[in-house]
Amino acid sequence: MLISLAVVLSYAERFIPLDIIIPLPGIKLGFANIVTMFALFFLGIPSAVTVTVLRCVLASLLFGGMSSLLYSLSGAFLALAVMILLKLGYNRIFSLLGISMGGAAAHNTGQIIMASLMMKNTAIFSYLPFLLLAGLGTGLLTAIITVNLFRIIEKTNSVKLS
Amino acid sequence: MRLKPRAGDFLIIAAIITAAVLMALLLFEKDSIAKVAIISQNNTVLDSVRLDELEERYTIDYQGEYPGTIEAEKGRIRFSHAECPDQVCVRTGWINRPGQIAVCLPAGIIIRIEGKDTDVDIIVK
Repeated sequence: MLISLAVVLSYAERFIPLDIIIPLPGIKLGFANIVTMFALFFLGIPSAVTVTVLRCVLASLLFGGMSSLLYSLSGAFLALAVMILLKLGYNRIFSLLGISMGGAAAHNTGQIIMASLMMKNTAIFSYLPFLLLAGLGTGLLTAIITVNLFRIIEKTNSVKLS
Repeated sequence: MRLKPRAGDFLIIAAIITAAVLMALLLFEKDSIAKVAIISQNNTVLDSVRLDELEERYTIDYQGEYPGTIEAEKGRIRFSHAECPDQVCVRTGWINRPGQIAVCLPAGIIIRIEGKDTDVDIIVK
């Protein structure tokens, strides 16, 4: 059990740097969310929270400063909260598609709110509509990848879907 | 397990699109002849420039943890250089329409273009 967990985690780890390798100006593919969704579905909420915090802290230490930590944490946590809520209706009301897209939208909203608070300026909200629409596309892509990842994991039977 | 969208998914998509369109409509500003670029740092206005009346290149240096330079030409403005780690501000490129913004989050700088009829003091250099 522990070995399979370690294997799955190292597999998941390989996905973490993807959001760092592809730094589009201001807009991201959000591949890190694949890891978060994996943790949320297979390992439970505490693991998902741990993965999210560590990912944000590591990315900020490596590539940004204190301010980037606040931005990424606010986006990631709002996204995680929304995905935990949406997961309650998983398979009945929502599929991974809705959870992924909802998470993307929440991530954007969280970051914009944090940015406007830190800069004490609401002008930044004019980015939000475009980010929300972009999030539909990246959310779809993330959902497709995650579904395939889940299918591989279920086929190899390393972990059971909780 | 396959990606089978449920009814709720489309509800989420519809909600996101509605929110985005509503916000875009609220924030949309008509193109105008008179354009004022307002440069602020953490809600303090550093400078404002009448872009439409600008005849020569105009640069503004800003200070702080991540200093940089803003460059304005007739009708448009951009971050031309910045010391910030992500360079998102520089890659934003030129902005030229009322309502558009360019932002450097690490430095706390926002450039916003406003149309005519604003109560901002206009400095033309």
